[in-house]
This record gives sequence, C-alpha cells and structure tokens, in this order.
Amino acid sequence: MRAFLLRRLILAVPTLAGVLVVVFLLLYVAPGDPVTEMVGERADAATIARLRAELRLDDPLPIQFAHYAGGVLRGDLGRSYITNRPIIADIRERFPKTLQLAVAAMLLAALSGITLGVLSARKPGGAFDRFAMGLAYLGISFPVYWVGLILIFVFAVTLRWLPPSGFGGLEYLILPALALGSRSIAFLARMTRSAMLEVLGSDFIRTARAKGLRESVVLGKHALRNALIPVITVLGLDFGYYLTGSILTETVFSWPGLGRYVVNAISRRDLPAIQGSVLFLSVVFVLVNLLTDLFYAASDPRVAYD
Amino acid sequence: MLRLLSTLGVLALLACRGGDSSPQRRTLIDSRDTYDPKGLDPALATDVPTGRAVAYVFDGLTRFTPDARLQPSLALRWDLSSDGKTYTFHLRRGVKFHDGTPFVARQVITSWQRVLDPKTRSGGASTLTPIAGATAFAEGKAASVSGLSAPDDSTLHVTLDRPLAVFPTLLAMPVASIVPEAPSSDFGTRPVGTGPWRLIEWKHDDYLLFARNESYFGGAPKTDSLMARIIPEPSTAVAEFEAGNVDLLYIPEPETRRWEQTDERSARLVSAPALRLWYVGINTTRGPLADARVRQAINHAVDIRTILDRLVGGRGRLAAGVIPPSLPGSDTARAPYAYDLAKAKALLAAAGYRNGIDVKLWHSQEPSFMRVAQSIQFYLNAAGIRAELVQREAATMRAAARKGETDLVIKDWYADYPDAENFLFPLLHSDNHPGGANVSFYSNAAFDKLVDDARKEPDSARRIALYQQADEMSFRDAPILYLFFYNELYAVQPWIKGFEVPTIFNGQQWKDVLIAP
Repeated sequence: MRAFLLRRLILAVPTLAGVLVVVFLLLYVAPGDPVTEMVGERADAATIARLRAELRLDDPLPIQFAHYAGGVLRGDLGRSYITNRPIIADIRERFPKTLQLAVAAMLLAALSGITLGVLSARKPGGAFDRFAMGLAYLGISFPVYWVGLILIFVFAVTLRWLPPSGFGGLEYLILPALALGSRSIAFLARMTRSAMLEVLGSDFIRTARAKGLRESVVLGKHALRNALIPVITVLGLDFGYYLTGSILTETVFSWPGLGRYVVNAISRRDLPAIQGSVLFLSVVFVLVNLLTDLFYAASDPRVAYD
Repeated sequence: MLRLLSTLGVLALLACRGGDSSPQRRTLIDSRDTYDPKGLDPALATDVPTGRAVAYVFDGLTRFTPDARLQPSLALRWDLSSDGKTYTFHLRRGVKFHDGTPFVARQVITSWQRVLDPKTRSGGASTLTPIAGATAFAEGKAASVSGLSAPDDSTLHVTLDRPLAVFPTLLAMPVASIVPEAPSSDFGTRPVGTGPWRLIEWKHDDYLLFARNESYFGGAPKTDSLMARIIPEPSTAVAEFEAGNVDLLYIPEPETRRWEQTDERSARLVSAPALRLWYVGINTTRGPLADARVRQAINHAVDIRTILDRLVGGRGRLAAGVIPPSLPGSDTARAPYAYDLAKAKALLAAAGYRNGIDVKLWHSQEPSFMRVAQSIQFYLNAAGIRAELVQREAATMRAAARKGETDLVIKDWYADYPDAENFLFPLLHSDNHPGGANVSFYSNAAFDKLVDDARKEPDSARRIALYQQADEMSFRDAPILYLFFYNELYAVQPWIKGFEVPTIFNGQQWKDVLIAP
C-alpha cells in the first residue's frame, strides 16, 4: 500500500511538470498582450514597452520559463499582473469555497443518485424505475447553466425560499449544489441501476435470497457493495471535475470560487494567475484520482495495491 | 399533482407581492459590477468597477455630477493665468482623510508624482503628463515635477507645458484622486481617502462594503452603508432585483422590451444617454478601405436604425459623428448616413469596385456585439461588401486592432471625462496609432490641427466651434462606421429615493441616495 502510494506520488511529478510546460507555452502562443490589459486602453506605448521589459515578457521563452519554474519550485506562484496580489493568497481565499460547493454537490449526488439507482433496480421496468430514469435522462440532458437559472427562478424569485445567489450560510449553498450535482445525480442513478442489475443476476444473490435474508439486506449489503466499484469511479471523476470546472455554476450563482477566478484571469490575460491556478488545479486533480484509487481498495478487498 | 401546482401558483403570486414593501436593511445594494475591481488604488484604476469604487472612497480636485457636469471637489475654485498655462487651485481647508490625517496641498503633489513614477505602474500617467516637468520626472531626470508647487497648505500652482483647456476636467478622473502621502503597500485593499465612503470589507468576487464617512466635507451620505455586489451573470442580477435583494439593476439589452412592456416593471425604469459610442473602426490604410468612397459606401449600406431597434432594444441614438449629443461640440442637426443600398453600390462602383470587395469584420464574444456584427455582415454582403466575421476574445481583438491587423472592428468607447476632446483625440487623432485607440489609423493633418487647436483654446465658444469642424471633417471622411450613442437603462427599486442615473461611470457617488419606506 505504502509502495503504491509512493509510486503514484512520484509518477505525479512528471505529469505536473508536463502541465507546467504546456500551460506556459499555450499562454505565450495565444495572442493578446497582458500589459494592455494591465494598464488599460488609454496607456501610451512607452508605458507598455517599459512594463513588458519589467515583467520580462520580452525575454526569450526558455529564460522566461526557467524564471517561472524556479519560482514555482520555491513555492512562489508570483503576483497577479492585474491586482498585484500574490496568486497563492488568491487561491487560498477561493479554493475553500469551490471545495465547499463541490463537496456539497457530491454528497447530494451520491446520496440521491445511489438511492434512486438502488430503488430503480429493485423492480426494473416498474413505475418508479421509469419515473426515476426519465428524471435521470433529463438531468443528463440539461446544461448546468440552464438548470441553475431555472432553480433560481423557481426557488428564489417565485417561491422566495432561498436567496438567488451569493455566498454565505447553508441557504446559499443549496441551489448551486443542486445545480452542480444535477448531472451527477442523474448519471449515478443510471450507473448504480445497471451495476445493481448485473449483480442482482449473479449466483450469490440467489443464494442470499435462498437463505431467507430480508430484501433490504440483500440489496443494501450484498448487492450494493459489489455494485459500488463503477459508481466510485464516476464519483471520483465527477468530484475532480467539480473541483476544477464548476465555472458555470459559480458564475450563475455569483459564487466566489476558483472557477470564476480562472475565467477572469483568462479574460484579462493575467498570466501568473492563469498559470498558478491551472497548476494548482492539476495537483488537486491528481490527488483526487489517487484518493479514488484508494477508495476502490477500501470498498472491494479483491483490489489490492502493492 | 394538479392541486400541488395550483398551490405553487398561489404561493408564487403571494411571493411577488412581497417585493413591493421596502426592505428592513440600511445598506444600499448595487448590482452593476460583473467582475471584481482590481484594487482601490486610484493610480491603477483603468476599468469601470474600479473607477466607480475609487469615486466612493477618494476625491479629486474636481468631480462629475451624475449628468457629467464638472464641479469643484477638493478644490474650491481655480484661476487661470493669462497665458493659459498656470492654474492656481484654492483647496478646501479642514478636510481629513479617513484615518484622521489632514488634507493639505502637498498631498496633491505627492499623489500625482506617485502616478507618474514608473514604479507605480499606473496606466493613467498620461493624464498628468501635460504638467510641466512631468515627463522629466517620470523618466527619472528630475527629483520632483517642476510644474507643481504648494506655497501653503491650501494653495496649489500647476503649470502646464502648453495650454490645455480640458485640464480641470481631467482632474476628476480616478487616476488623479488624492491619496495620503505614503500609501501602504496593500493600499489597493486597504484604501484611505477623503471620499464620502470608507471601505470596510471586501470579499473578492463577492462584494465590497462601504460605510459612510460621517465627517465628509460635502455632508455625510444619507444612508449608513453601501454594498457593491459582484454578479457576473446578468440573468442572476435580474433575479436578485426581482427578489428585492438589490436596489439598482442594469437592464441587459435583450431584456429591454420585456421590462418596457409590463407596467409594473416599466415604472421602475430610469434611463439616460451615456457618453458611450458604439462604432466600427474602419482601418483607412488597408486596401480598398483607403478610399473614402468605400468607407462612405459602408456607412450607407447598413440599416443601423433597424439594428438599434431590434437588437439593442432601441436603446440609443444614431450617431452622426463621434461626439455624444449631450456634449458641447456635437452638431445635433447633422444627419447620419442614410441607409441607401443603391447609393452604397454607386459609391463602390465609383471607387472602382464594381464587383465588390472582401473585408474581415472582427468582433469579441460579447453577445450584444456579436449579434450586431452578424447583422452588419448581412447588410454589407447585400451591398457587395463581402464581410467575413472574425471572432476573438476582447483582449486579442483589441490588440490586433491596435496593431492595424483588422479591416473592420466593432467596439465601443466610453468617455473618461465629459468633453468632446475625449472622443475626437483618442479615436481619430494621428498621435494615437499604431498602438493607440485610433484603430481606424486615420491620419488627416487638417483634422489633427483642428483638434490640437481646440485642446489649447481657452475660450469655450471657440473651442466648441473647432470641435464641431473636426467632427464634421472626419464624418465626411468616414473613418468609422457610425453606429449609435448608447442609452443607459437601469431599474431602481421603488423604495430608493434620490438616485440620478450617471451618464459617466464615476458620476454617482450614492451620497444623496436613501432607502425610504
């Protein structure tokens, strides 16, 4: 186990180095001048030239890269061109909010998605199954953006049960978590259902039923546990995706998370902010994948790492 | 199921009524910002959310009213020497910064030197370079700006290199605001000014919260606090307004008709002509576009009235020149180019392009501009001007246009200060290309001279006449496709009193706005 962890962590290093190179190069190949974004439309050419030099934007690419990579190795992601605040501080301020939203969405999705899936699998083709799978179909088809606006319209504007947007207590979390999780709920329900159906057809379930176990124990203990592996895969992937890509949800609900930070950085050509946050998100993604792998082992003793 | 639906319906109706009563809060809430300000350091203010917030916390020697007239602020009044070069500003006494430090003339000098100092990395230094010795100071050739002196705490002499009539107006821009003598290194997040509001909390990408400055020299604001919420999605801002959570809403263009057509909503609307021009820069150095007849053909080929009505909710006034109708120098009697397909084709033929021309029309991914660009393409094609659309995100598009890589580029221009010069000079003077805002690369020595003369003409009647001539001259040359001057449209909650729509971004400081039952 420890060896596995170590190997995976070591393997992550070249992955992240690759990310660093690609992000760096992409940004310099892309058109648009960070300095004009920094000083605005009215600045004169001399100011722009001076700032380009100060920021080393006119240095040869390898030197710029070495300079940047050196900073990263020392744990310094640089300062934003636009706000002059340290990137690390910006990330530290925003990531917990993105994490909070992602965890809430995941919990919601895991609970309701798996429950829907198990209940549907109990009587495939039955009324509940058809209803739940219809719902899942809609959940997968509707874009998050649209779901978010509909939720706001219904629950915030019309019913006034919850605030439309913003960051704060639990009441602010419900709608965005629901919007962000909607696709996962749907997807998990379908995954769980099909995995359950497969397991329910196997011999040991027949045995379990034959020895007179209650249906709830058969479903909950014997079948679900065995059906969980693909479900965990989906959960892990979606969680990684939420941590790095809840941009639309954050935008619709004015949620001050990292996704919006990245989008703002891109639109303002804030190179250090883009590089720093993409690098950070890559680390997060690698870690989430690693965690997912560890969960496999926890949920299925046949999976062993050495 | 049916019963559930009808219950929901009743609840919805009840809920809608709930929004009419005034809220229990004592904080004014603005929803206009779509992204976080950069920081509240006036020296670094170049975007609208930043400029607005700077106007809450800081004062300049002058300021703008909501309808963009110039008013004294930290300066009570000023005199101009007979050669038009030296201003004597008489400053207010007894003004204090939020931290209690008294405001004195010396701080005006240090504030402006800080903007000029390259280490500050200000994008607005050019606002202050008309001051004598400013350039030498910025280049490190002088220890101070020779044109600035403060004989006592309430008097400031400013000498310019050459007369510049618009100078007191420039001083109302955010970048010329007065800051304490030695601002802290985190001044952008902990600003200290003399303005009507103090910044007390800033949750990045979420909101900025200001408390009133009880000892503001112009009288303390009438409401306890002011919150600028940052709401990136316009539909969400609409929802927040309908839920009664925000007091001011910028109406997105596609929503205009929906708001105008219901009585309850239209009663909330307030509108004012903004100092903002929508236009298409025509690069006058590229191929057939160098011929004025081709550019006139482009102006005749597009039905702008229909575009304005159908795509922008009728929010604007057709442009016949670059000077907004509310500014002196605008000739409101001048007729815009008429939509006339036959004339467009005839002009093209006269220029020798009987078979039409091919151009590329650049636009950003901003939805309103995108829709307008697509319509312009349609109209141009009908006249034989085959336009290919090139979509880039705004920063890339702007950079390409400034380098002269675009044939046509659709964009807008906001006034930094309410003067015709702020349209004529940046958009069309040959000093401003390449690299500047003159994306038409328009170079006309006669036009330049008119603008240069106007800039230094102290007599306002003569200056306005020069502006008019310059606008007329460039209008005939058609270096741009004149679209329209934009109208701001806001919805204001019924419980808000005293809100005047600003026609310039920093013209409304919320000082006299209050929540009334």
